[in-house]
Amino acid sequence: MFTEARRYFVERRVTDRIAETGATSFMNYFARLRSDLDGEVEKFINAFTVNETYFYREDYQLTCLTSDLLNERTRMKRPGEALRIWSIPCSTGEEPYSIAIWLLENWPQVDAHDVEIIGSDIDTNVLKEARTGIFGKRALMRLTPKLIDKYFVGAEPGRWQILDDLRQSVRFTAVNIVERSETRPLGAFDVIFCRNMLIYFDDSSRRVAAENLYENLSPGGYLCLGHTESMSRISPLFEVCRFPDAIVYRRPLEISHG
Amino acid sequence: MPLIKNTFHRPASSSPDPAAALTSVSPDERWAAARAAGDDPVNLAALAQVLARESDTRVREAIFTALARIATPESALAVLPYLRSDDANIRTGALDALRAMPEAVKAHLSQALADADADVRLLACDLIRNIRDEDAPRWLCEFLEIEHVANVCAAAVDVLAEIGDVQALPTLWRCAARFPNDPFLAFAIKVAADRLRANAPGSRV
Ligand SMILES: C[S@@+](CC[C@H](N)C(=O)[O-])C[C@H]1O[C@@H](n2cnc3c(N)ncnc32)[C@H](O)[C@@H]1O
Repeated sequence: MFTEARRYFVERRVTDRIAETGATSFMNYFARLRSDLDGEVEKFINAFTVNETYFYREDYQLTCLTSDLLNERTRMKRPGEALRIWSIPCSTGEEPYSIAIWLLENWPQVDAHDVEIIGSDIDTNVLKEARTGIFGKRALMRLTPKLIDKYFVGAEPGRWQILDDLRQSVRFTAVNIVERSETRPLGAFDVIFCRNMLIYFDDSSRRVAAENLYENLSPGGYLCLGHTESMSRISPLFEVCRFPDAIVYRRPLEISHG
Repeated sequence: MPLIKNTFHRPASSSPDPAAALTSVSPDERWAAARAAGDDPVNLAALAQVLARESDTRVREAIFTALARIATPESALAVLPYLRSDDANIRTGALDALRAMPEAVKAHLSQALADADADVRLLACDLIRNIRDEDAPRWLCEFLEIEHVANVCAAAVDVLAEIGDVQALPTLWRCAARFPNDPFLAFAIKVAADRLRANAPGSRV
């Protein structure tokens, strides 16, 4: 699933796992992996997914979300119908919690709509951390002290826990983006954030991911990628939308034939 | 707080037989069928067959992806003819699908590089870019020695600059000599040669 450029990284992680499990050789380790000894498959997946993330990362997209995307989406909703936002991959939760905080802070209509936020990642360790919601300085570096005061409580020195109320406002589920059987049950979203993951995939996995994302969007729903990523180079399924704050992708409203 | 609480809910999902649904009248069903068909190589023939008739862009894309996932020489062979399509979207779609299965494409490269259609040869050069094989630079060199269309040579030179090494230099000079009146190709060759020399071990650039 990873490109050549990531090879070194992957090799390192595999070497780490071999050392950690006390396997005597790669073949020996591979045998453990195949028989899923001591839950090695999950540990293996967790070891080589990159989780670096922080609050308000690429916040121009959050600006775009509240100045344009959500207003477009609410216009298409029946009264009372919830807005659904998906953060995949969500890593340790910074992204979906950022979305929640950003909405509360910057979207005047937030009280008029139900908003459902789901965070997903393939790595169950990061999801555990996301649910706990305790973060260090580094993750909070882009938040003002005022925001930290408002949405976090001190947990231990140098660590802050996100407020319970907010914690309960994001649902976390384990999903592999290239497994359709795992993505489909989540249903259709109005906006999907899929940032800083597809760059690590090979062409074939990227295509499958793009098709899954397409299926998980309502017609007219929006897809936000990381700033170095471009869907036009992955898949023609989406339209490019240029908003003042960000370029995002959209599942077309009508299906074009031919 | 208007944010919805994280209580669990999950709609049921269903999975119809893919091969049969590939010919459904509903594009949505064909799309779903094409996606599911990529899970199993037995669907290769059915996918190849419907690809010829599919007029919906989105469904065609899913068929290409399914064939790319199957990623056998046979599935690459099912996509290759579409490099010749008159429709630029289909050509691009086919090329992207082939790029996504570099190993599967390998078996057909020599034939594609010998194709009578210069456009197909040009796209075949481009496909080599993604193929990790230590012999890939040699294939390009052999191709460059005999290719007679300057544009196609330029495409091969471009890829060679990326994946080759200084051993390709004599081929590049011979190619330049064969097209003395083509300033674009001469320039492409100069750029490629500079790059290959700069990347050579022990080079001080
Ligand atoms: C760098 S984080 C990105 C987090 C956040 N979206 C951001 O931009 O800050 C990458 C995440 O991708 C997850 N990941 C990798 N492959 C995945 C897959 N196939 N399905 C779901 N998540 C995956 C990793 O576990 C990791 O947490």
